[in-house]
Amino acid sequence: MIMSNRAGLIAGLVLLIALLFMPQIASHIGLAISVCTEVLLYAIAAMAVNLLLGYTGVLPFGNAAFFGLGAYGAGLTIEYLHVGFITSIVLGMAAALVGAVLIGPFLLRRRGIYFALLMIAFGQVFYFIAYRFTDITGGEDGMNFARPAIEGLGVVLKDQQFYYAMLVVFALVVIGFLLLVRSPFGRTLVAIKENEVRARYLGLNTDRFIFVALLISAIMEGLAGACFGLSIMFAYPLMLDWHNSGNIVLMTILGGSGTLFGPFIGAVIFVVGQEILSTHWIWWQIPLGALFVACVLGFPKGILGTALDLFSKRRGGFAFEARELVHGTKLSEREIIP
Amino acid sequence: MSEALFEASGIVKHFGGVRAVENVSLQVPAGSIQAIIGPNGAGKSTLFNALSGFYYPDSGRVSFKGVDITRAPAYRRIAMGLGRTFQTSSIFPNLSVYDNLLVGVQSAENLAFRFRPVRANKRKEIDAKVERLLNFVNLMTSARRPVSELAHGSQRLCEIAMSLSTDPTLVMLDEPMAGLAHAETARIVEVIHKLHDELGLTVLFVEHNMRVVLSLAQRIMVLDRGKVLAEGTPAEISNNASVREAYIGKEVIENV
Amino acid sequence: MAHIAPEIFNGLILGAFYAVVAIGLSLIMNLTGTINMAHGSFMTLAGYLAFAMVSAGTSYWFALFAAPILALIVGVLLERTLIRPLYRRDPVYSLLLTFGLSLIAEETYRLIWGDNGVPFSPPLALQGAVSLGFTYFPTYRLFIAGVLLVIIVLLVLFLQRTRLGLRLRAAVQDNEMIAALGTNTQLLYMMNFGLGILLAGVAGVLASGMLGLNAQTGNALLMPAFVTVIVGGMGSVFGAVAGGMLIGLTISIVTLYIPAASEIAMYVLMAVILLVRPRGLFGEEGIFG
Repeated sequence: MIMSNRAGLIAGLVLLIALLFMPQIASHIGLAISVCTEVLLYAIAAMAVNLLLGYTGVLPFGNAAFFGLGAYGAGLTIEYLHVGFITSIVLGMAAALVGAVLIGPFLLRRRGIYFALLMIAFGQVFYFIAYRFTDITGGEDGMNFARPAIEGLGVVLKDQQFYYAMLVVFALVVIGFLLLVRSPFGRTLVAIKENEVRARYLGLNTDRFIFVALLISAIMEGLAGACFGLSIMFAYPLMLDWHNSGNIVLMTILGGSGTLFGPFIGAVIFVVGQEILSTHWIWWQIPLGALFVACVLGFPKGILGTALDLFSKRRGGFAFEARELVHGTKLSEREIIP
Repeated sequence: MSEALFEASGIVKHFGGVRAVENVSLQVPAGSIQAIIGPNGAGKSTLFNALSGFYYPDSGRVSFKGVDITRAPAYRRIAMGLGRTFQTSSIFPNLSVYDNLLVGVQSAENLAFRFRPVRANKRKEIDAKVERLLNFVNLMTSARRPVSELAHGSQRLCEIAMSLSTDPTLVMLDEPMAGLAHAETARIVEVIHKLHDELGLTVLFVEHNMRVVLSLAQRIMVLDRGKVLAEGTPAEISNNASVREAYIGKEVIENV
Repeated sequence: MAHIAPEIFNGLILGAFYAVVAIGLSLIMNLTGTINMAHGSFMTLAGYLAFAMVSAGTSYWFALFAAPILALIVGVLLERTLIRPLYRRDPVYSLLLTFGLSLIAEETYRLIWGDNGVPFSPPLALQGAVSLGFTYFPTYRLFIAGVLLVIIVLLVLFLQRTRLGLRLRAAVQDNEMIAALGTNTQLLYMMNFGLGILLAGVAGVLASGMLGLNAQTGNALLMPAFVTVIVGGMGSVFGAVAGGMLIGLTISIVTLYIPAASEIAMYVLMAVILLVRPRGLFGEEGIFG
């Protein structure tokens, strides 16, 4: 499931060094540094989806709501409460957490497409709130806000510094994620993905685990969203929309669901690809849509997933391919009963 | 007469128009080995599922250790001391045998919901428990292999060990011999004996293989078309005319 | 009371739209586990095809009939080539696939017909208003109401009374069994998908005349249709109709008093209903057998 410790460590260090020089590399290809920041933040968002999709085995499709709640949480508290940089991020994460606590209970005991359907629907509430409450949120046009100074230091991060700050955040998230999936809790999530009925027949209240995984995922999304809002100094309703959810899920699958660095790879391809495509073609959504189709039909295990498959004798593949293996008990498509 | 460890009364389960189980009652005394048999379509699996919480009966009552568990979710039954295996081994296919057992042990130790790594001495305790389970079913040598790579018989043994990992008092085995080759069957029978003789567990199992049933079970209940046809000792059942009749024409009885 | 009568009627018409779209979505979801995120795009496709036909000189009636059928053909082709391989896999794939298709579709519409939508008005015969005694009501909307009502009735009859309908319902319950009994499940899936798209197509053409035709026309109906499926209960046609009406009425009446809360009201309704009946109004138990 996870690469050997040494290989992972080396990969991580190589990645870190590459990321340190990403701004220079980017400007060589004509990309602004904000794109690099966007890659890191959407990588975090994709990792949040990966926690649910690749490690817990549920079908999340409404995560962008938490992303957007993070951004609006940061923006609104900056605009109306005049909080500092770090506080705005924390409050953004809190907003996302509240969102998850509100809709989570409706998702309990639901599985498969019904879970996804409910999550899509509930996720849209936040979109409509952002869209309609124009006085507070700026409505369709979104809300601009300034990047506040860091508390205690009185310094406002400029774009380059902001990138490196985000790199630190990203590194911390990766380490945190790694610790999480290696913890007993994380291992239990994987067991749930492998065979939820068996997990329940080993005394585990899987709903509780899935709920907490949802909360953690939401907090991560909120972190990514809040930072992204601070990056572009703007929050807009489409951040919350199911289209954005779809993008984030695609990044996860594209890179390789169920792997540690897959979401990052997916985010790089998607964000950079979108940036390049949109500057050259007005109709860039067409190749983007084609990417969805190609990925799903062509390499469903994603880039990292397929690569790892080639390099090691992995049984049955990663992620939710494992679900298709007959493990004896017919899993309900909509609800979990036992 | 002391209260049975596991008791069910008046179990009814219908699926739309299909009356799968009709008013079935049974008592399983502590420390016994009991079997449920019957021709295909008799409702054995349905009954088993209704008793073990895979779904809930339409009416009737199930109690375990005197506590009503009729509508208790599966995970709570396990916490109370039930264990169960499935007809097609329900395991974690991509995890190693070791990890398969670890999940249950961790759950029983209330460590599943833990974010910090387990402390070293606790870890040793858990490893020891897993190793005991591996040795019990003789899967020590395959411990680190993904369980999906193992033969069916070994997978079944792994699953039985998994059902033990939560320290059960009563183990429910759903057709433990299903799909196994003859040689593999012997290993399972041996393990079931050990469950009862060495660990003192109560065993309730569904099975088709009559030779195994007659040699293992102390008490047998025969289902036919959702209703209890007969109940008794192996000797009584094998001499029961209506039992033989129910089987003839429905399936071939092995080695009886 | 009289002054909100038009709103009630509007709400019921909206509800009928949601019901028809929801039934289409539901058919596809229940049989194959595919959440068709491109459902809205098919609606819009039918709308644009009808517009193209009318612009080319055909009558509105012909377009109303032919455009959904064309959309059906496109849908079935896509189902056979792209969606069918995904039935056996985790639903996330078909979700992403249909999502990708919707992106391609919407951008294509914008490329061909522009960003701002096109004027697609109903024929003269359907324009104007009809006196209903207490108020005047647009003729076109009455027409829509009639067509949708007929469709719903036909659909219910089809599912309950015909052999194909029976097969579809049986397949939703247990498609392994149906295959074992000799039904060509692949053909069934295709027809099921086609039916869903046909419904979407009709809704799309009708909606275009009422809500305007642009790249987002279909999507505007999609979310409420999802909510309708949830409120009505997955797997229930009657639920879709009841749920659709309920939601249409809610949106209509709330729009009258607090326009900003119109969509949110539908979600609040959904939440309340789920709290009381977690499976939706007429939902069936999730586990199959």
